[in-house]
Amino acid sequence: MTAGAIASVAGAGRFVGQSVQRREDPRLLTGAGTYVDDVSVPGMLHAAFVRSHVAAGVITQLEVDAAGALDGVVAVLTAADLNRSAGSMQPTIQLHDPANAPLRPLADGDVRFVGEPVALVVARSRAIAEDGCDLVVLDIDPTVPVLTADAALEPGAPLVHRERTSNLAQEQAVLLPQYDAAKAAATHVVRETFSQHRQTPTPMETRGIVAIARPASGELHCHLSSQNPHEARLVISRATGVPEHLVRVTARDVGGGFGQKFLLQREEVVVALAAHRIGRTIKWIEDRRENLIASTHARVDRTTCEVALDAGGNILGAFVDELEDAGAFPVGAAGGAAGAVGAFFPGPYRIPALSWIARAAWTNTCPRGAYRGPWMMETIAREQLIDATARAIGMDPLELRRRNVIGDDELPYTTPMGMTYEAITPAETLEQAARSIGYDEFRSEQRRAFDAHGLLLGIGLSLYVEPCAMGSMDPLGTETATVRVQPSGTVIVSLGSGSHGQGLETTMAQVVADELGIDLDQVIVLQGDTDVAPYGRGTGGSASAIIGANACRAASAVVRERACEIAAHLMEAAPVDLEIVGGEIRVKGTPARAIAWTEVARVAYHETARLGPDMRRGLEATESYTAPPATFANACHACTVEIDPATGVVRILRYVVSEDCGRMINPMIVDGQIAGGVAQGIGGALYEHVVYDDAGNPLTTTFMDYLIPTAAEIPEIEIHHIETPANNPGGHKGVGEGGAIGSPAAVFNAVADALALVGATVTRQPLGPRQVLDALAAVGR
Amino acid sequence: MKPAPFEYHAPTTIDEVLDLLRSHGDDAKLLAGGQSLVPMLALRLTRFEHLVDVNRVAGIDGITRANGTLRIGATTRQRALERDDRVAASVPLLAVAAPHIGHFQIRNRGTVGGSLAHSDPAAELPAVAVALDAGFEVGDRVVPAMDFFTGPWTTCLGDDELLSAARFPVWDGDVRASVQEVARRHGDFALAGAVVQVALDADGRVTRAGIGLIGMASTPWHAIAAEQALIAGAPPLDVAHVAVRDTDPNDDIHASASQRRRMAIAMVERALREVTSARA
Amino acid sequence: MHEHDVELTVNGEQRRGRVEARTTLADFLRDHLGLTGTHLACEHGVCGACTVLVDGDAVRSCLLFAVQSDGAQVTTIEGIGPAPGELGPVQRAFMECHGLQCGFCTAGLVVSVTAFLDEHPSPDPSAIIDGLSGNLCRCTGYQGIVAAVRRATELRRESHAAGGAA
Repeated sequence: MTAGAIASVAGAGRFVGQSVQRREDPRLLTGAGTYVDDVSVPGMLHAAFVRSHVAAGVITQLEVDAAGALDGVVAVLTAADLNRSAGSMQPTIQLHDPANAPLRPLADGDVRFVGEPVALVVARSRAIAEDGCDLVVLDIDPTVPVLTADAALEPGAPLVHRERTSNLAQEQAVLLPQYDAAKAAATHVVRETFSQHRQTPTPMETRGIVAIARPASGELHCHLSSQNPHEARLVISRATGVPEHLVRVTARDVGGGFGQKFLLQREEVVVALAAHRIGRTIKWIEDRRENLIASTHARVDRTTCEVALDAGGNILGAFVDELEDAGAFPVGAAGGAAGAVGAFFPGPYRIPALSWIARAAWTNTCPRGAYRGPWMMETIAREQLIDATARAIGMDPLELRRRNVIGDDELPYTTPMGMTYEAITPAETLEQAARSIGYDEFRSEQRRAFDAHGLLLGIGLSLYVEPCAMGSMDPLGTETATVRVQPSGTVIVSLGSGSHGQGLETTMAQVVADELGIDLDQVIVLQGDTDVAPYGRGTGGSASAIIGANACRAASAVVRERACEIAAHLMEAAPVDLEIVGGEIRVKGTPARAIAWTEVARVAYHETARLGPDMRRGLEATESYTAPPATFANACHACTVEIDPATGVVRILRYVVSEDCGRMINPMIVDGQIAGGVAQGIGGALYEHVVYDDAGNPLTTTFMDYLIPTAAEIPEIEIHHIETPANNPGGHKGVGEGGAIGSPAAVFNAVADALALVGATVTRQPLGPRQVLDALAAVGR
Repeated sequence: MKPAPFEYHAPTTIDEVLDLLRSHGDDAKLLAGGQSLVPMLALRLTRFEHLVDVNRVAGIDGITRANGTLRIGATTRQRALERDDRVAASVPLLAVAAPHIGHFQIRNRGTVGGSLAHSDPAAELPAVAVALDAGFEVGDRVVPAMDFFTGPWTTCLGDDELLSAARFPVWDGDVRASVQEVARRHGDFALAGAVVQVALDADGRVTRAGIGLIGMASTPWHAIAAEQALIAGAPPLDVAHVAVRDTDPNDDIHASASQRRRMAIAMVERALREVTSARA
Repeated sequence: MHEHDVELTVNGEQRRGRVEARTTLADFLRDHLGLTGTHLACEHGVCGACTVLVDGDAVRSCLLFAVQSDGAQVTTIEGIGPAPGELGPVQRAFMECHGLQCGFCTAGLVVSVTAFLDEHPSPDPSAIIDGLSGNLCRCTGYQGIVAAVRRATELRRESHAAGGAA
């Protein structure tokens, strides 16, 4: 990537750093978006799934004739029709991993979780397809399910997958003698076990596909609600056997993802297989009940963690034992985040010694998939342990953090796992958050309110470092962008992202407009379509600013260089003497010697005879950017709550975030990402809970049971920014996941802090009225 | 999530409704606001061969006040309880309770009769009805509220009967009302709640009281003994304990039975404090 | 099951269709009339994404059957603004205040907020929260939405003062 030697762009920063209003909004505000259910094709058929009503069992009867005979039903497909000829359904990142759960399109002979797809009914309408499903006879002999990771790992536990020899999906450990030594030398050793409970991402748009099969040409065009069109294309290609170049995936407007739509699951692949098989167009739109039962679940973690400290409260070492419930068919590498919990546990603290064990177990429950910071149990466990430790040793939790947080002067800092932190500011965010929420004043008020009125007020902090844009996790570490100037001088940017709310059509345009020195409205960003974009990594993992924007910069730099080369040639000047200002390329210091950007573009395409013989024709470039192995963002969340002891209801009084995501492209969008993540964390801490009964039947199957917070449950979220440039061309870090990573522990710690006033304790979430009242009852209140 | 197929009927008279109900028996279901029924149909938790839409039936909508009674037609939208000044003036508890029912979009369609006939023990209007000794017009008889609700989601209505209106007594004097609920989220069904209406004399003493509990039994709970205690001058917390004393609330993932009692006691107490505090 | 003919006014235009009784108003708008701006995110009346105006009232179109809407005046997101593709004050406020990210809940919110402000032109903060609580959003954490409602009250006031259409 060229940098200093080429012409400078005057006014860089005209758009990057500004809260530019979004390109996406006018169409989305007028009902003109194109989500997958908005796609309609003549002759399109509609699909519905017959699903298992049992958590584990043997299929004794699957009778589809009555369904097939229903007027309006076109086909009923089962494992016998689809499974044999299907190729691999594994994601690229884990394609040949022998540890994968044995994925199959439709359940074949047995079922492994309630909701597992067993048959596909294809009909003239969704309503008729559902009528057809009601006529399918599905009898299952239940067997004993395993419903928790603990039960799954008991000796003699029934196998979730008969093709495997145990229910252990993943096991990693790093056990070092340094921790044992630290523990032996410690004055204090505090050990706690924290759990997080089952949640589900619940994007407002469920999953869906319109699979358009074109038998005559062999093409298969799939409209999808997807965060990752190119990966979806690969999976569909492998599964159906349609070569990659004949598969097209379009994800124009996507109604949220949060990780759930980063990788395809069976339903979309089954519909693609079915469309390919019968040579028709088939639409499947997941309904909300299916989404809550059978898409992906997340966050079922139990972490036993231990910290060893000296007499001054300095941490000498930590130990982590993480157990993750992976569900029956965990989705992709991010379905198994247990190892990351261990490895990232130290977070923003100086922890010289670390030992950890991480395991993931299969259970007869809905597959675990990525959800906004899949490894974030490390922040929950660590931050909640810090608070518990502070209480145990008689130190304020803020002070304990101050003593152990990595300071500026310690950077670059290398963790026991060999990760190197640079350009992070945890200490600064800690102070800013504490100041902003009025930590010391709150402590006085807390005391006074309790002594005078018995009120239960509490304050909680959550401090974390977030690994973003892991460059080593290919194919996720690299993005490629094409910047293509048109003869009129307008610019088309295309990249293989899958924007689903983060406004990439706007932010990437901001970057390119700045890099080329042209107006924002001269740039359009096309993405979310494999026919339009170079091979891409999709959108997820807090990587769009780091990887996407820098790929756009790389391609823009080449375009800029070539444009200046053409301008220099036309004006008989030297490229180094040129600058781009106000849509013109001109000689520095001599404004009269200038040529319009639009003129340069026109000549590049329409008067190629005027170019030098060795000069490239046209004006476009495709360049890639691979991120460093990891880039770290950081933040501190602070939360105050009041508990109503009569009802157990927790009310959030204030919520503050101090965060550092490096150089912001669009501060308004950054705030939105953080706020959305915080709301999900509050939801998880206080309201959201996916519940199964003892037989493995999900009980939270509608929005009346799974409680997503409304505007009334989310307080004003006060956000402060620190911009410490990261070591990449744009200086960006990631921000998509951070809000969800920091928030649950901040809320939990505030509630635990309030309960500590009366000696009550909690170790699990959610903290609904029942759990809070149980904690109070345990101390006789 | 599409409902199973059904035949749709849109009668315009009560007689047509009753004919349809007699013809089809339990294969037919009345459709009023649809805010509770249609989700169940969509989820295919229930299905009926015939839906009888009562929204266009004459004579069962509208609010009238006469002879010390506020008569509310069954198909009156819940929103009317908030918008029609006569409701706040005549039966304040109805006007205070209405904003607690779901959200305004629900109340734009949901009907008073529909909510009462649905008989959810965690709903506001059934509790208000028992607290105020409302009467329900069914055919040519008037059923007292305490006899109307017979169990969770069940009423005394036969398959061929129609609730056509609810009558609420209009109290004299300085009448105040309060609704206090514990709900997981704003607008959700209450885990436990209290609906209270009192009439105060010139000295601020309670001369008449209606206290109902939400979510504390298999039907809405009329806390008669608590009303008597209140009128006799017992302090709010004592009255609250009396109100909750014989209730039999559910135990579920949201709260245990004893936790619900604790919540209900607090809600009754807070409602009583609100209605007996000095007016601003 | 036999089908029904329905005729209703949608965004000012007379529209007709032939539907099964079980076809909801939401499905009628989307599938029969091609007005796909109204979204289905739950189909059981909780999330509010499907909100439209029926005879001036904001209702959940997934809980209303098309046959019930015969003769009604319906306004959807496509017709809530001043002219096709143009943004009214509520929509402009959402854009200024980043009140949307993925956009899937947005149509229901814009319609609900429009109805809410028609009834409460100068809402206080708790009224705003109450008015918003019937619409779920998963992306924004509601910050931009609450700001958009406040901004919309200003823009509507300015628009009325200037004598223009809201």
